[in-house]
Amino acid sequence: MAIRSLSRQPSGVFWASWRDVFKFYFFLGTHSRRPKLFFLLSLVPLAMAIIFKGSQIIYGYPRFSGLFIYSNMIMMFFLQFLILLLTLFFGTSVCREEVEGKTLPYIVTRPLHKIAFLLGKYTAYTLLVSIMIIFSLTLSFIIMNLDRLGDLSLYKVLLRDGGVLLLGIWCYAALFTFLGVIFKKAIFFGLLFSFGWENIIQYFPGKTQKLAVVHYLKSLLPPLSQEGFPFLLFRLEPTPRGEAILILLGLTFFFLGLSCALFAGKEFIIEA
Amino acid sequence: MTVREKGYTHWEGELKESRWVWFPLTRLGIKMAFQKRFFKLFYFSTFLPALIFLAGIYISERLEDFRFMLRGSPAFLKITPNYFKIYLSNSLFLFILVLVMIFVGGGLIADDLRFNALQLYFARPLRKIDYVIGKMATLSFFILLLSLVPGVLFILFKLLFAGNLVFLRHYPWLPLAVVGYSLVLTLFFAAYALALSALSRNNRYASLMIFGVYFISDIIFNIFYQNFHHPYLVLLSLKLNLQQVAAGLFGLSPPYAVPWSLSLGVLLGLVFLAFVILQKRIRSVEVVK
Amino acid sequence: MRAVVQTEKLSKYYGNVLGLSDVSVTIEPGVVGLLGPNGAGKSTFLKLITGQLKPSLGEVKVFGQPVWNNPHIFHQIGYCPEIDAFFPDLSGWQFLKEMLRLHHFPEEEARRRAEEVLKFLHLFGDKDRLIRSYSRGMRQRLKIAQAIAHEPQLIILDEPLNGLDPLGRRKVIRLIRRLGEKGQTVIVSSHVLPEIEAMTKRIILIHQGKIFAEGNIHYIRDLIDTHPHIISIKCDRVRELAAALVKEPEVIKIFFTPDPQEIQVETQQRDIFFDRLQQLILQLDLQVEAITSPDDNLQAVFDYLIGEK
Repeated sequence: MAIRSLSRQPSGVFWASWRDVFKFYFFLGTHSRRPKLFFLLSLVPLAMAIIFKGSQIIYGYPRFSGLFIYSNMIMMFFLQFLILLLTLFFGTSVCREEVEGKTLPYIVTRPLHKIAFLLGKYTAYTLLVSIMIIFSLTLSFIIMNLDRLGDLSLYKVLLRDGGVLLLGIWCYAALFTFLGVIFKKAIFFGLLFSFGWENIIQYFPGKTQKLAVVHYLKSLLPPLSQEGFPFLLFRLEPTPRGEAILILLGLTFFFLGLSCALFAGKEFIIEA
Repeated sequence: MTVREKGYTHWEGELKESRWVWFPLTRLGIKMAFQKRFFKLFYFSTFLPALIFLAGIYISERLEDFRFMLRGSPAFLKITPNYFKIYLSNSLFLFILVLVMIFVGGGLIADDLRFNALQLYFARPLRKIDYVIGKMATLSFFILLLSLVPGVLFILFKLLFAGNLVFLRHYPWLPLAVVGYSLVLTLFFAAYALALSALSRNNRYASLMIFGVYFISDIIFNIFYQNFHHPYLVLLSLKLNLQQVAAGLFGLSPPYAVPWSLSLGVLLGLVFLAFVILQKRIRSVEVVK
Repeated sequence: MRAVVQTEKLSKYYGNVLGLSDVSVTIEPGVVGLLGPNGAGKSTFLKLITGQLKPSLGEVKVFGQPVWNNPHIFHQIGYCPEIDAFFPDLSGWQFLKEMLRLHHFPEEEARRRAEEVLKFLHLFGDKDRLIRSYSRGMRQRLKIAQAIAHEPQLIILDEPLNGLDPLGRRKVIRLIRRLGEKGQTVIVSSHVLPEIEAMTKRIILIHQGKIFAEGNIHYIRDLIDTHPHIISIKCDRVRELAAALVKEPEVIKIFFTPDPQEIQVETQQRDIFFDRLQQLILQLDLQVEAITSPDDNLQAVFDYLIGEK
């Protein structure tokens, strides 16, 4: 191989690092098998929507309106299960994937800012999850409201729900990125948080429920109908919308900042 | 000249075949689990429900002393097969078992696949079936310690606290039900966790699958049930199938009006599917095209 | 000559375990071999000079700059890790191109360089296969490819000959020598002395986390050659052979072992001894079963050099 004189791009620049890491991991995310399986998982609500709508058209049952089923069941499935599961995997992947796969030496010996690496990978994976969720949400919404697609006011619901899910995805992903940086068994702690803490605390009365991220997400949605849902025993005491959005964004930046600070200063010992 | 030797010495002991060739795998699995940070703390804390239920058994024999605590509902502490069913099939207990499977089972095969350890295992006098038994026994150890052992101890302590055998005379089949249901739990969870672990080389991914499949089945059931109110939808939920079988084995009416044998059939079908997956995924050499 | 890598009282501890202790060394352009037995601290040293680990004490500079959290420096560094790990779902071509993209090369330039280096390392024909399907030797070459594709000034290769067949080894050795001749600095670690010998005359000996010798390989060779070697010979009529060997000046000691067909001979001039042994075997018409050197490994040499034996 001929050894050439070095002609370099402006190097080590933070934004260039972010951009190139983003492109690489977005490429990796769309070319790997695991994200494809998660994409299939994200289509579960769509399959449910098809079954509900098909049953309504053929048998006239269930009798709830399409919008009711969408808002009270499908949207809740996204909010309380799917985005948690997906962000847990992709969020913890930001750091743990490189450590477990022992590919970290390839990354940290490139001219990349460590912080830009973390943010670039976080952005790539979070965008990937966002695309999966929004795609499935939109199709589920359209299917459940096939008979009212001309009603433009309906799309405000879709926009609002999409916005809420995006806020949730970015916030949870930041939190799980943080867990991935500090814990080896991040997935375990993430599961305990997601399906233990979040699921219990949100139903506590008074200020206690404000200790759950999902509380702020639910504050952005209209109250759920209790019709046919006797298991929802506790009342949401919502935070004002503006405050909820600010808190969600604040949490996102806080956990990302913390992750960056820890990742930049931490050395990962990769066993041979 | 004779064949040149590099200097190593041949082992001259007698080669004996062990009938428990899978046991070192089990021992290693258990040892590795306890070497994980936080696992000991987590696992010992999972015995808390058993201690509470044990306290319940004690109180049931000293109702007079504890009447002030019961607030007029001594029926709650009447020890019947239902008490055992509640302990062994309540949602929290099953959730704990899922967490144990995640902690111990997630990487049990996934890590072997990732580090190409299967080649090493199968280069020894170890068959695929021994490997699966060894791994299943690891998980069974943790599940049985949480289900069978407390279940049997509850019966023993009930008899000890009562000082007679009346309880056993009323329910002579109860020990069998405890053993039977513990075995169902063990077989199902061990096969389920191993199959999902074998589907991936990534421990995190396998762990999420163990959790996700269990819960998604229950959520889907809830959503469909709210809309269609059809009891047979219960067959969609792993958790409810386990609870239906528990009710059946403890001689109680299942929570949903569906024969518990159907739920048992679903669970056994899933175990069979898990073994098919294990059969296909556990290979010493993977050919990648 | 300017220093490429300079360390000052560099130490690394993993909790209570010593990884590297008080290492002060200056590495100048050219090929340098880092030689030491397994667990000596070679990989720790290489990880410290590539900024993967933070020094516990002391400092490390590459091209006069600190290396920890200094991404700019990595335009000039190529690192081939010892670990056999890759992104599992990528082909060799995708992996190499993407690694070059992480050096901020434009797409076209990354393609060109990836293609060139794959051809050079005879991987171009298999470029579209998943890395998982590569043989160990191919993966090793791919790791080297990603370390040199961006033409760095400093190339660090951690055990690069592991898993290569003899032909592959020769090619990589030739490549390393050529890189050195072009003025690039190559640091190669190995625990096999002849491998290092084939690449360079400059050597750093590392053992138990300390560098205790550095310089020309002839110096190290001399040390090793004067190391008393023990050679075990298994043959018929060992006592006849022993009687003949006693007369040889290069033989220091002869031991009889419990095995009636084995003797062990200690010598400080191994090459002369072996020449003489061959002649004696023919003269006495001995049936030789084995000739081995129980302590002929790097660990034994190191033990001798540091005075443990």
